[in-house]
Amino acid sequence: MRRLCVFWVLLSATVFVSAPAPAQETLKIGAPQPMTGPDAPFGDKFKKAYGMAVEEINAKGGVNGKKIEVIIEDHQAKNQLAATVAEKLITQTKVLVLTGGRASGQAVEIASVAQRLKTPYVVDHPSADIVTAKGFEWVFRDNPTGSIYPQAFNKFISEVPGAMPKSAAVVYDNTVFGKTIANSAMTFLKSKNVPIVNDEAYAVNSLDFKPVMTKVKANSPDFLLLVAVATTDAILLTRHAKEIGVAPRAFVGFGGGFGVEDFAKELGPLSQNVFSSAAWSGNPNDPAVKEFYKKFQTKYGIFPKEHEVEGYSIVYIIADAMRRAHLTGNVEADREAIRQALLKTDMTTVFGKVKFGNWAGPLGDKYTNQNIYSPEHSVLAQWLDGKLLNVWPKANAETGYVFPDPTSKR
Amino acid sequence: METFIQSVVSGVLTGSLYAMIGVGLTVVFGVMRIINLAHGDLVMLGMYGAFWGLTLWRLDPFVSILLWVPLLFLGGMLIYRFLLKAIIPGGELNTLLYTAGLSLLIANLALFVWSGDYRTIKLPYALSPMRPFGIAVPVPLALAFGLAILITAGLSLFLARTDLGRAIRATSQNPEAAALMGVNVDRISMVTFGLGSALAGAAGVLLAPSLYLYPTVGEILIVKCFVIVVLGGLGSVVGAISGGVLLGVVESLGAVYVSVAYKDTIGFALFMLVLLFRPSGLFGVGKS
Amino acid sequence: MRRAVPLAAVVLVLVLPWLTASQFTLHLAITVLLWTVLGVAWNLLGGYGGQVSFGHATFFGVGAYTTLILYLKLGLAPWYGMAVGGAVGALVSLPIGLVCFRLRGPYFSLATLAVAEILRLVALNWEGLTNGPVGLLITALPPVRIASRPIDWESKTPFYYMVAGLALAAMLAAYGLARSRLGAYLLAVREDEDTAEAVGIDTVRAKVVTLALSAFLAAVAGGFYGLYFRYVDPDAVFPIALSVEMVFIAVVGGLATVAGPAVGAVFLVTISELFRERFLVGHLIFYGLFMMLAIRYLPEGIWGGVRRLVSGHAPS
Repeated sequence: MRRLCVFWVLLSATVFVSAPAPAQETLKIGAPQPMTGPDAPFGDKFKKAYGMAVEEINAKGGVNGKKIEVIIEDHQAKNQLAATVAEKLITQTKVLVLTGGRASGQAVEIASVAQRLKTPYVVDHPSADIVTAKGFEWVFRDNPTGSIYPQAFNKFISEVPGAMPKSAAVVYDNTVFGKTIANSAMTFLKSKNVPIVNDEAYAVNSLDFKPVMTKVKANSPDFLLLVAVATTDAILLTRHAKEIGVAPRAFVGFGGGFGVEDFAKELGPLSQNVFSSAAWSGNPNDPAVKEFYKKFQTKYGIFPKEHEVEGYSIVYIIADAMRRAHLTGNVEADREAIRQALLKTDMTTVFGKVKFGNWAGPLGDKYTNQNIYSPEHSVLAQWLDGKLLNVWPKANAETGYVFPDPTSKR
Repeated sequence: METFIQSVVSGVLTGSLYAMIGVGLTVVFGVMRIINLAHGDLVMLGMYGAFWGLTLWRLDPFVSILLWVPLLFLGGMLIYRFLLKAIIPGGELNTLLYTAGLSLLIANLALFVWSGDYRTIKLPYALSPMRPFGIAVPVPLALAFGLAILITAGLSLFLARTDLGRAIRATSQNPEAAALMGVNVDRISMVTFGLGSALAGAAGVLLAPSLYLYPTVGEILIVKCFVIVVLGGLGSVVGAISGGVLLGVVESLGAVYVSVAYKDTIGFALFMLVLLFRPSGLFGVGKS
Repeated sequence: MRRAVPLAAVVLVLVLPWLTASQFTLHLAITVLLWTVLGVAWNLLGGYGGQVSFGHATFFGVGAYTTLILYLKLGLAPWYGMAVGGAVGALVSLPIGLVCFRLRGPYFSLATLAVAEILRLVALNWEGLTNGPVGLLITALPPVRIASRPIDWESKTPFYYMVAGLALAAMLAAYGLARSRLGAYLLAVREDEDTAEAVGIDTVRAKVVTLALSAFLAAVAGGFYGLYFRYVDPDAVFPIALSVEMVFIAVVGGLATVAGPAVGAVFLVTISELFRERFLVGHLIFYGLFMMLAIRYLPEGIWGGVRRLVSGHAPS
């Protein structure tokens, strides 16, 4: 008898937990993010970015009079949980739109769920090409894909006289991020007949890069290309490369850990002159963007980079679509209406211009609903005196570049 | 040739640091037959101790270690007395899972209190490595290596020469016989766990300048640490050191001469190979 | 009474989709049932057999990858793929068992962990077979008709019944094992392996057969994971955390009991959902605390404790 009662109590508890959410007063946006585990700092960045955007929009009257709300849930950087969280946000919290994801593995899972459950997923940061290359009509992406990240670097070495590498060592992490970017960079270099003297994939969160760098040093590469999705790997890669004595004309990172403030904060002088070719953080020569940077820094005490800018912009993109969609209060109909509105999106955010379209990426992937301006959103930046400043293309440059690297003793 | 020497040197230095982490784990296992999954988090606490010592009080980690080691020793004893003691009678598996829960608790409390931001310890004298004969030897790593040798030597002397040390070894060999000889097994367990925690903390302080800090770093350290300890033979301090150095060198050479991508696989394969021929590890005490 | 509770539970499981309209509840239920299968699978070797494996993710991953590779590259429908995956898992377990069973206690446990890690790294690097870190994604499932009505793959119900069937089958297998001769041998091995050998039991065979059965179930569960979650990458199906979670479910539920892992799965999924909803950043603090409390006050597991309370003696 008692066991039966226990079972019923348990079941009731489960049912109670999953009771439908109260009637919508706000327009809800769901955002699975990693809030615990090694990726936690990134989840926090997005929380801050979304928060500021939501505050601003609601202060100006919200969307057609209704307030918007971003609901963040922790997916612990696990695919299975990303799916669970996405399901919960869609079916229980009844969000109108999803965003976030942060890491590619989780983003793919979320995209799959969103596509099946017919909810728009507007990607702000995850860069795996596959997310918008599977023909999912419910998935949209504002930020550039991983294969686009190296494009600014490609432009730099092609346009600056003498900058084409005589040889290149490529060290990248064994993740979707690392592999896609490395592949894209190497494809371009090979097309220019640059010999790739090292092609090394390492495991994410490696504790020691001295062996890799020893191997690389033996080949004396002209350029050292490094890809790291984790900040910790980016820091150690650079530190160990310099300790072991690898001395290329340029150290080139590709976003991820190379594009966050912590990189220079933790490496100090060792970060000097390291390049990062990746998604940009908005056009720094645009006064509206500068204004945003100042405001963010004042509010949160950190200088916004790629992640914060992407997160902030995505809320504006979603709000714009919501404004144009005719929302009736019927969740399924509203999601479809928002999707239709997104297809017609044509606006500018702090992150740049955005219009979703179908086109082919640099490695041949056929994109669906990928921002057509993405190739313009790749910029080559350089760490100079602790700041990541755009140096190429000239139109987006904030300062001159330093090349070859004078601190690199040959 | 230079590449080879550099590989070996890097491997020895890195491996010995992992071995330091393993020593605490193996001592605890030897005496109490507990696999402490929270060990990595105790190392993390040591790392954060070094960080806060430097940031708040401008104490060099190699100095503040004198503060953190006794603190963690005390902490370890308290953990044993108030948490673990009641669990041990439930069996090895239960204890292991309990420490897994403890590990989650400590790591996530740290996350909550200190935030997940990555931190590093920047030492002004650590910017460029030493280059004896052209081989790069990072300064903090070399210092840590030296201190690790001192600590391990001290530990071995302690275990061999002092009464308390002998009591610990006796309990490790046969708790019942030791009890019959008048050893207070409960007190020895408490001291041993404190010792293991202190060693973890020391390893953390030594490791901090060469690595980076975030609250859940314990979970990556613990896997390496286990492989080393089991490879060397659970319960053996010499085993932990040899296991660490061996794994460090093999992984380093494997990365340079075979494949970076499969570096860890080579380590695991070595691990399995050793166990195939010596089922209790290199210096294992034979009992499982 | 002894028959009523299991029967009531089975009935409850069967009618759940009619009791609730919430797709999310069904999703949670599917998760619970999936963990149940894994917990029962692990329990066969770990609970009944006393061989604590920390690498059961090996078989889960092998099943998941086999199923998806066969479907995406050869077009074999996932339900057949799951069965093949199970067989592959069992096959793979033979050399693993042969190597690992030479070791005892923590050496065995860590060797199994090493195997799982090796397989994860292989899956990560052998791109030709597994697509490496990009993983394998199912975008469409084959159309199937049952009694001339097509199955709606967007609904949770077909998946729910699939996994419920698996869970039931797994528990029946455990029930059968416990009462069979093999079960008796396992008990002997668990209590004192050397004595069991001295008495003439072929301990190696007992362990290998049990591992094969355990691996089969775990691999089929892996195939289901691939089918339901539609996406498999090395970190999703081979991680250490998954192996540890399986152990945890069996231990917290009740080692060497048939229903233990089911109870464990229900508790763990519910607890982690509740905490995650409540505390955005701190939920794992409470999860860890819960683990510690559960082991402290219910050392035989929840189900084990309940059984002892009710029937007055410890489970076998």
